[in-house]
Amino acid sequence: MNSFLTALFSGTAQGAIYALVSLGLVLVWRGAGIVNFAQMGQAMFTTYIASQLIQHNYSYWSAFVIALVSGAVLGALVDLGLMRPLTSRKNSQLLNSQSMRTTIPVIASLGILGVLKALAGILWAGEERGFPSPVAPNAIKIGSTNLAITGFDLFVIGVVFLTLVLTTIFFTKTGMGLAMRASALNPEVTRLSGIKVGSVRTLGWAISGTASSLAGLLVTPRTNLSPNTLDLLLIIGFTAAVVGGLSSLAGSVLGGFILGYVISFVNVYSAPENVFIAILAFLLLALFIRPQGILGSKEVRNV
Amino acid sequence: MSKVKTHKIIGLRSTLLAIVFFIFIILLSNQFDAYNQSQLTNIATLLIAVFSITLLTGASGQISLGQGAIMAVGGYSSALLVTRLGFSMWISFILAIFISALFGLFLGLAAARLSGPYLAGTTLVMALAIPSIAVRFEGFFSGDVGLSVDYGNPPDWLTNLLGEISIEVWSLYVVLPFTAIALFAVLNLSNTRTGRTWRAVRDNEVAAALAGINIGRTKVIVFVCASGLAGLAGALYGFRGLVAPSVYPTDLSLTLLTAAVIGGLRSIGGAIFGTFAIVFLPDLIEKITKNFAIPENIGTYLPALTIGLLLLITVILNPRGAAGALEHLRHRKRH
Repeated sequence: MNSFLTALFSGTAQGAIYALVSLGLVLVWRGAGIVNFAQMGQAMFTTYIASQLIQHNYSYWSAFVIALVSGAVLGALVDLGLMRPLTSRKNSQLLNSQSMRTTIPVIASLGILGVLKALAGILWAGEERGFPSPVAPNAIKIGSTNLAITGFDLFVIGVVFLTLVLTTIFFTKTGMGLAMRASALNPEVTRLSGIKVGSVRTLGWAISGTASSLAGLLVTPRTNLSPNTLDLLLIIGFTAAVVGGLSSLAGSVLGGFILGYVISFVNVYSAPENVFIAILAFLLLALFIRPQGILGSKEVRNV
Repeated sequence: MSKVKTHKIIGLRSTLLAIVFFIFIILLSNQFDAYNQSQLTNIATLLIAVFSITLLTGASGQISLGQGAIMAVGGYSSALLVTRLGFSMWISFILAIFISALFGLFLGLAAARLSGPYLAGTTLVMALAIPSIAVRFEGFFSGDVGLSVDYGNPPDWLTNLLGEISIEVWSLYVVLPFTAIALFAVLNLSNTRTGRTWRAVRDNEVAAALAGINIGRTKVIVFVCASGLAGLAGALYGFRGLVAPSVYPTDLSLTLLTAAVIGGLRSIGGAIFGTFAIVFLPDLIEKITKNFAIPENIGTYLPALTIGLLLLITVILNPRGAAGALEHLRHRKRH
């Protein structure tokens, strides 16, 4: 019973982080039609910025905020400096080919990932370092019995819950959120109704950068920080996005939590070595049974 | 538009090119010291894997970030055949091609339903998961320790012919025939009916389907061919000494893709150039930076930074790679 509760709670906390990563991927996918494989590289970079600030005696929270802001800036920069020029170049012979139009941005994002990792290695020496958390990672006690949940788990769940509520409000209640949903659905019509689709797209990259930056801040107290730490998170986030539906924001969050439970139950009831195989099996299963994802809509191929 | 040549001439031309390549590498290795000879063997090995990306991404437009994992399949197949079943090295290489191709068939059946980023992500997950299978089933695959295999000693007739040859040279002699045959095969493929079918699918799936091409089957066939090549490369790569999860990391898959992109995804010459670049560039950078007092951590990451930047610059300025740039220059001269 106790191990079940442990798996459940740690699955919720992990799933919350995966949901953020997956949300970030889906935001960019809906807005730009690109899966950003550099996303967690960006997050790694901003987490290093936060870590440097804390080492120089800034408070945790000011470093936290600066990391989120630099996540947004980095996301916007990737779009403005690289992805937008790359995809708007229609006359290039290579991009005329259907498959290459999706392949080239993938390769570009891998290039960014490589550069960011190498830069982090050069700037911050690349050895693993710890990252602080504002809450003690001990199990919560009531009287003398240890509960299966830690204070840090609660902190993660709280922060992510707050983020998700804010995101939902943004997308359903504000004009900008509406514009983002509209341009994801039909960029041409949105442009004709007077919305700057380009800026909306960049905003999507910025929000995605912030979300993944937050995921980096929340996961590194557990995993430590090195240029490669967050690679695994990207792979899990991608699987979560595919399981939930790459075209659906709600689906991506759902997928994140599902992955969280899958991984934490495999960890508790099976063995940690099985996690990768479980992820691959789960991804293949999802692609065979429901390739558009749980909440995704079926893609229509236009002639 | 594109010239359609007959099979006979193509066969002759690619045979000649493969022989020229073979002789060129042999002559080059004679100029090198032992270290660079082994680097040359690495190039000859990785080149086969890069060819698999040239076929997969360049010719048919499917992207794989998991070719390293398929190399692992080939490596483990051949190593297990040799260590557990006592097969000869040569037969194990041939069987590794078939086993990886079979693996590619299953993968292709799943991948034919996927496109672009889905395929990229799925193959990336695979790149991570497959080496971990070796750790999971430790009893069979020997876990992190891995299986020790090597190219063995050169046979007597060769030492009688050439005199004593070093282990580095022997490794190159083992690998190079396979590379030349792979080059021959890839050269032939790209100019035949099959190659044209693949390109049609790459450029416009709907148009290709209307022209009577079975899209799904074509994609699966490409996957099978590419996996066979990658598996062979993986087997040769492992026989340098060790088949273990650490020999086929996720970064290997990305390195292979980088080589293909830098050289030019659609060009076989580009694949050769790109492979030379990624193998020799780190050595070159080390040679240059040795003269300056550069902190160690910068020296460690400088090759990765250079290769990453090179990849970005290629994608932004010249997505057709070095081969594309060369062709562009030639066209400009002509007009």
